Amino acid sequence: MEKEKHYIITTYTENQVGLLSTVAGLFTRRSINIDALRVFPSGIPGVHKFVVKTTTSEAKARAIVLNLEKKVDVIKSFCYVDNEDFNKELKEVADYIQERENNNN
Amino acid sequence: MNQEQMTGSQILLETLIAEGVDTIFGYPGGSIMPVYDKLYDYQDQLRHILVRHEQGAIHAAQGYARTKGFPGTVIVTSGPGATNVLTGVADAMVDSTPVVVIAGQVSSALLGTDAFQETDLIGMTNPITKSSYQIRKTEDIAWAVSRAYFIASTGRPGPVVLDFTKDAQVGKAAFKYEKCNFIRSYISKPVVDESKIDEAVKMLDASTRPFVVYGQGILQSGAEKELTDLLEKGDIPAGSTLLGLSALPSDNPHFKGMLGMHGSIASNVLSQQADLILAVGMRFDDRVTGKLDTYCKNAKVIHIDIDPSELGKNVPVDLGIVADAKDALSRIVAKMARKERKAWLNSDQHCNEVEMQKVIIPETQGTADTINPGEVVATVAEVCGQDAIILTDVGQNQMLGARYSRFKRSRSFISSGGLGTMGFGIPATIGAKVAALDRKVCLFVGDGGFQMTSQELGTIMQEQLGVKLVLLNNNWLGNVRQWQELFFKERYSATRMINPDFEKIAQAYGIGRVLVEKREDLRPAVERMFADDKPFILDVHITEANMVFPMVPPGKAVSEIMLNSTEWYK
Ligand SMILES: Cc1ncc(C[n+]2csc(CCOP(=O)(O)OP(=O)(O)O)c2C)c(N)n1
Repeated sequence: MEKEKHYIITTYTENQVGLLSTVAGLFTRRSINIDALRVFPSGIPGVHKFVVKTTTSEAKARAIVLNLEKKVDVIKSFCYVDNEDFNKELKEVADYIQERENNNN
Repeated sequence: MNQEQMTGSQILLETLIAEGVDTIFGYPGGSIMPVYDKLYDYQDQLRHILVRHEQGAIHAAQGYARTKGFPGTVIVTSGPGATNVLTGVADAMVDSTPVVVIAGQVSSALLGTDAFQETDLIGMTNPITKSSYQIRKTEDIAWAVSRAYFIASTGRPGPVVLDFTKDAQVGKAAFKYEKCNFIRSYISKPVVDESKIDEAVKMLDASTRPFVVYGQGILQSGAEKELTDLLEKGDIPAGSTLLGLSALPSDNPHFKGMLGMHGSIASNVLSQQADLILAVGMRFDDRVTGKLDTYCKNAKVIHIDIDPSELGKNVPVDLGIVADAKDALSRIVAKMARKERKAWLNSDQHCNEVEMQKVIIPETQGTADTINPGEVVATVAEVCGQDAIILTDVGQNQMLGARYSRFKRSRSFISSGGLGTMGFGIPATIGAKVAALDRKVCLFVGDGGFQMTSQELGTIMQEQLGVKLVLLNNNWLGNVRQWQELFFKERYSATRMINPDFEKIAQAYGIGRVLVEKREDLRPAVERMFADDKPFILDVHITEANMVFPMVPPGKAVSEIMLNSTEWYK
């Protein structure tokens, strides 16, 4: 068994009804326990932010990020080992949205 | 002209037409009646095929989509109509099939009240769709429907469910259609990282024993030519997944057969001997890899897929490239060195000789009193000039259909892969025929799977679709019986079937049927079947205890191959 650690998984989404169960469902299906969950407006207009604290293996944590991003209404997802600073990502997401909207593809 | 007020039902139909939809597979009911009422006015533009069970509608839409490369469309009512499509939605999800399901829903004011035929369709389909969306406002319909087709058909294709409330269907709004081709949170076509292409080319050029494993991604991105060019330029052998079949013609010298549990010996052995695996548009299903920690251990692995979550999911990769298959392969072909690897390309002779002597000849050139299913498949391939669209149900019929069919054209093999849904066959065949009226469309199906969706014979009758249904009738749930014989001490629990008189069933539906019990009658019967373009059931009584080989037993490495019940490949 791979070693389990605390991970913080942050996810930026469109403001869609039902996304909470989509996000939670991705964890449940892989039997990854959610230790803590917070959902709030990200600061970018129309974009919500999910912060999930979880205890799992690194492989599972990385896989869930990719599976979160696979959802049509998910813009970006990030994974941090506990206590890493994750405040710089907000600008990254805002820039990413800007770039997508400029290129339109 | 866009400002005209229309009902939601009309907006739906206008949007479908604008998206290029010509056929709907469906079944009416209470909460979708306004749409069906409007459909009455659109009969010239939208062909509606009335199935006999909603599961039939979704599988037909899948068969249509995979034949045409365009999303299949399903319309059903709420509640039981919607729950009846779930199996097909899950099937479409795992097999990446573009379908759009439009289900009626109770009026938005009644949501959550357990109103008649209300179910939480979004909640139920969320884990098994690429996207599901509830349309509650008439003004949102054109946007939501166009978006659904965009999502279903781009990126890694998949099913989209629209839960369409009745008040949105009857409400009025202006029809404002704008084709959706951008969603900011969704990447429909990844930008290829050219530095990774360079790295792939370097690894490929340095390899002495490269092996390509490909899947349905080749068909979906239309990369058949690029794949062929790559194999030729590098003298590279290739194996296909079940769903990738027909991407290369069966007689392509680089094609080594199907991969995995009932694949060819050559494909499985070459994947273990290769020093480089180049995987394209496939997902390393466990039926393909066998025991994972023994799979292609001698090889570096390059994995190209449009879905980033597939890279490294099952098989660790040395290089992962997120890309559309056609895009990536054309770039690799342009940059790779032309190389001669004849010795490696032809190193599978021993595999092929063993498979021919121990498996293929005994299966396809039977001498016993009863007919083997492989003989039937091979005869069909001969008679129809390798030019039919072949479908299968699930089980032994599927593996033999895949092993002994021959293909000249791409998009000519359709089967339920990842979910392995018995009952897929008959309705999927209906959808394939509707999508390709000019082609021969032929199904191999077991007596078990036939009876799971045989109600769709009514649809075939009503639409007079010239589908050819080859019933490989062994009076057993053959595939399960095989596992019981091999791995469960011959304890045949619940696999024996007493079957109905299929002749009477065919007669009841006015469908032609011939019973074949003797070898000499087989070929004439197959010729008779293909002599016209009418629906036909060929009921072949096959060897009851026949087994599908070669077989990589579950939990074994793909190079541990059973040739029959007692011998292993050496
Ligand atoms: C809906 C569904 N139920 C059960 C199974 C398990 N299963 C796989 S193959 C098989 C037997 C199929 O028997 P039959 O249709 O007669 O085909 P044969 O294997 O004899 O060709 C069964 C029961 C399945 N794949 N799908």
